[in-house]
Amino acid sequence: MWRFFWPQESDSPKPPSFRRDRLALLVALVTAASTLTAFFLSKSTQFLMPGPLTSAHASIENCSSCHSKSGDGKLSWIHGLVAGNPIDDSKACITCHKMPATAFFPHGASAEVLLASTKRLTKVAASTPEPLSARAQNGAFPAHDVVSRGLTCATCHQEHKGANFKLGKISNEQCRSCHVVKFDSFDGHHPQFENYPFDRRTRIIYDHASHFEKHFPEVAKKDAAKRIPDTCSTCHDSPKDRRVMAVAPFEKTCTGCHLDQITGKERATGPKGIAFLALPGLDLQTLKNKNAAIGEWPEASEAGLTPFMKVMISRTEKGRALIKTVDKLNLQDLSNASDDQITAVKDLTWEIKRLLYALISGKASDVLGDLNIGSGGKLSASLVADLTASIPRDVVVGAQQQWLPNLASEITGGAMTADPQPVANDPEPSNSNAATTEEPAAADTPAASDEPQSSAETDEKKEAPSENASGTKYDPPACLMRVLGQCLMPSGQENKAEGANPEGAAGKDDSANATSNGGNEKRAAGSLPEPMRAGLRDARPAETAQVAGEKATSQSDELLRPTEEELREMKARSNDRGRAPEPRAIPSQPDTASTSPAKTAPVIGIESNIDPESWAEYGGWYRQDYAIFYRPAGHKDKFIYSWLFLTGPQAPKGDRSPAAAVFDFLTSKDAQGSCTKCHSVDDIQGKGRIVNFSPSSAETKLGRFTTFIHEPHLGVMQNRGCLTCHSLEKNRPYLKSYEQGNPHNFASNFGAVNKDLCQSCHATKKVRQDCLTCHKYHVNGVITPIMQTKIPMQ
Amino acid sequence: MKLLARRAANGSMGAGTSSSMRGVSGQTITAILIVAISGGLFWLVQIYTSALRDPRYLDGWLLAGGMSLQLFFHVATKTGRLSPKSIMRWRTFHIFVGYLLVAAFLSHSNFALPNSAFDWALWTGFVLVTLSGLFGTYLAWSLKTKGRVDDRIGYDRIPLRVAELAQDMKAIVAMPDPSPDAIALPPAPYDAWIIDLYTNHLQDFFEGLRNFSSHLVASQRPLKRLIDEINHLAPYVDAQGQEKLSRIWNLVAEKDALDFARVHFGLTRAWLFVHVPVTYGLLVLSVLHVLVVYSYASGAM
Repeated sequence: MWRFFWPQESDSPKPPSFRRDRLALLVALVTAASTLTAFFLSKSTQFLMPGPLTSAHASIENCSSCHSKSGDGKLSWIHGLVAGNPIDDSKACITCHKMPATAFFPHGASAEVLLASTKRLTKVAASTPEPLSARAQNGAFPAHDVVSRGLTCATCHQEHKGANFKLGKISNEQCRSCHVVKFDSFDGHHPQFENYPFDRRTRIIYDHASHFEKHFPEVAKKDAAKRIPDTCSTCHDSPKDRRVMAVAPFEKTCTGCHLDQITGKERATGPKGIAFLALPGLDLQTLKNKNAAIGEWPEASEAGLTPFMKVMISRTEKGRALIKTVDKLNLQDLSNASDDQITAVKDLTWEIKRLLYALISGKASDVLGDLNIGSGGKLSASLVADLTASIPRDVVVGAQQQWLPNLASEITGGAMTADPQPVANDPEPSNSNAATTEEPAAADTPAASDEPQSSAETDEKKEAPSENASGTKYDPPACLMRVLGQCLMPSGQENKAEGANPEGAAGKDDSANATSNGGNEKRAAGSLPEPMRAGLRDARPAETAQVAGEKATSQSDELLRPTEEELREMKARSNDRGRAPEPRAIPSQPDTASTSPAKTAPVIGIESNIDPESWAEYGGWYRQDYAIFYRPAGHKDKFIYSWLFLTGPQAPKGDRSPAAAVFDFLTSKDAQGSCTKCHSVDDIQGKGRIVNFSPSSAETKLGRFTTFIHEPHLGVMQNRGCLTCHSLEKNRPYLKSYEQGNPHNFASNFGAVNKDLCQSCHATKKVRQDCLTCHKYHVNGVITPIMQTKIPMQ
Repeated sequence: MKLLARRAANGSMGAGTSSSMRGVSGQTITAILIVAISGGLFWLVQIYTSALRDPRYLDGWLLAGGMSLQLFFHVATKTGRLSPKSIMRWRTFHIFVGYLLVAAFLSHSNFALPNSAFDWALWTGFVLVTLSGLFGTYLAWSLKTKGRVDDRIGYDRIPLRVAELAQDMKAIVAMPDPSPDAIALPPAPYDAWIIDLYTNHLQDFFEGLRNFSSHLVASQRPLKRLIDEINHLAPYVDAQGQEKLSRIWNLVAEKDALDFARVHFGLTRAWLFVHVPVTYGLLVLSVLHVLVVYSYASGAM
């Protein structure tokens, strides 16, 4: 063998081939030697590079950046000869070019999408003639072999072809090789469009036909000053994202007619606000008969348990069980309730009390941070602020003072009620009452207006049926001293307060009020609800030593800065979050002395004809009856948005969970805010429901195989403008398609676009008609995020 | 004499025309075949590309396969496994495959110049092998179309045959003219004229390889000049002298043909000194190329 390559010399005459073979061998050796020399002298392994990278990749210098097995050594590239996973190198690509988990599936789409698409197109393929070239290609080199092995980035994007090479270029034939429908060209046998562009219904429910034919003319007739859109471009434009024909914002289009629907001004019946917190009406008699120790509870309440409270109570396991039990009951008629159910109702009342107490004594973000909605994690303070619309503490305090004046003592271990103790409060102070006279500036702050106010006149009206409350009327304890809307000293304590602090905030008017409250029993500071005790300097050391009392005192500081003790308590509370303080031993016998409604003190208020609901005309919190309401402030109301956003995914249609109750409540036909009148609700299989608040965007178009850019087409439209392609078709059941949750069941106001229309321009020798004109490969997008650059620090 | 020579020349030309006609039609068929197969190769690469495969692997392996086939011819010839007849057939096939490999190479290089040093080395190697091969093919074609080379004469035997011709020539020139003995007349200097002709024009011609450059371009002008000298003398010599001149004419023609054969056989051997060594170098580079390509395949196969 060796002799073949290197003939041995002999004495016999040498044929010419002898010299030639020796020369050939020499050339081979020189070639190998010079190649190796050049390789080892060259920088890194650049010598082996078959060609320059495209300009976008030109900065990559290490082969190992893309060739995973290449390594950094001179000879480590030989490792590449060992068979490995062909996807490995492509994974290097997606370190810079971010793609979804389905990156290596055809089109980067999920298997389900591909399967459904293939099934649909297989039917189309049966009626599409297959070109000869496609048949030959498919016969000789079937593409499904390649696909089954797994697509890599290099399958389509082949590098090292020069700086100006177009990496994204792909031919029609390459597209066709995989597809079940094999056709010649767009103007040839490309399948007809299937209801294009209506892949799904619009996110905003907007019936063009009824607006054009009914609403616009009516509005114009009613109010000539109102601006009625006269062209499509009044509402539609695509200035930023050329793929999306955007809709102008609400404030520029719909607000003129629809804002009042959101704020509730146009609401004829029912409350204009959303009941957030309420004391549900209970069958107190039955509870009493069954010795259910619920403490004090207003007997006049006819409110129901609000869905928001159900969610708040359900934040603990115990709460969830309670809600599950009481959901089946009519709380105002418990005559047929079992003992267990009665116990559940009793526990519910204490849960409600603890919730109120916690909302007053702690931060809402601490109390509601662990609401069992959303992703399940702790909710941020800002999110809780949205969920509670930053409800002022005073609103809750005011309600508590009206509804459960002895709440603090009940919770913290003061005087307790063992049996249901009706509280004969009048929870509706606004129609006849206003701020107390000692606080004339209170009207400046909305919170102050929500404070329970009453006047002596209210007492006279106790027996008269109230417009908003059908139960027994109640005069809330007159407030003698207020700081930041918080009642620091109710009437009845003025003697003690005066004794302790004769230069107290209460002036002569206060004394007058106190006088006018004659007959009411005075309560010791220690027996008052915690916030009501704030600011009082009680002479009794035992009472002043009470933690709650001290806390209230410290909270009455004008800066409302927590004391060290409060900080410790808050810390402890945050550690025990979710565990509201249990009521101390509830005596089996009612302590009527401590909870008698006769103890409440009347105050003199300012009369007002404005009911709280109207007062909150521009949105915000107000209290009415035994409920605290929130009235939407306008479009993009964060309260409604955040509740819908968080509860939707946990609220599949028909679900009876507390989250679903909130979602159903806020998306019902007559829901305040009317969000879902325009924002459609989609059922997501297995993922609850979502309200489409976000407008259509490039992100929402992810997953779509067809792309269309309006802009280049705007110049070729005929006199009919948009109607050239989008023909208005009246009498189609547009709104009906929104009565169900599947966004793909849709009847548009407009007719589908036909292929013939596009083909009138996109044809051979006219306008380009390659696949990539209208279709994109990476349907779920490829993004190159900003590099992670460390901030230069010394 | 002139008529004889012209007739002979015409006859030779007529035979050449007919064989060249056959050659032309054969070459046309070969050319059509090469174009058709090359076109088929390009189409195959095209549909291979459409099927989401990297075409460089298809035309690359076709190229490598073709080169292996060419190499086999070289090895088989060297090891003497092929009979002379088989060698002739294989040589024809070798040339045919060579043309197809040019098409495969164009496809593999994507009809573009290389971008890197290593690729340039490969490209240069292939181009050198191809050009030397084309030159060899041209020589083979040139020898065949000129029709002046007796295939039975080996390159190594030409000098010997030339020496024999020189001896023959000397013998003819030295042969005395018997006619003066028969007719008692003052002898005419026919032999001296022929000797002059030999001395002035033919002696050097028969001493070795002459008119190299003319033979390189297949020019017959030197031969024609010698023939003209002989023809000019012919009318002035007697019948015996004409007989001598006729034999001299044949020897001159044969010597010229041998010189032509020697030049072309020499070139035929010389071009292989480029073709074969460069092929070896290309082989080394190709193996490295395959190794590198598969090391950096990136799943594009």
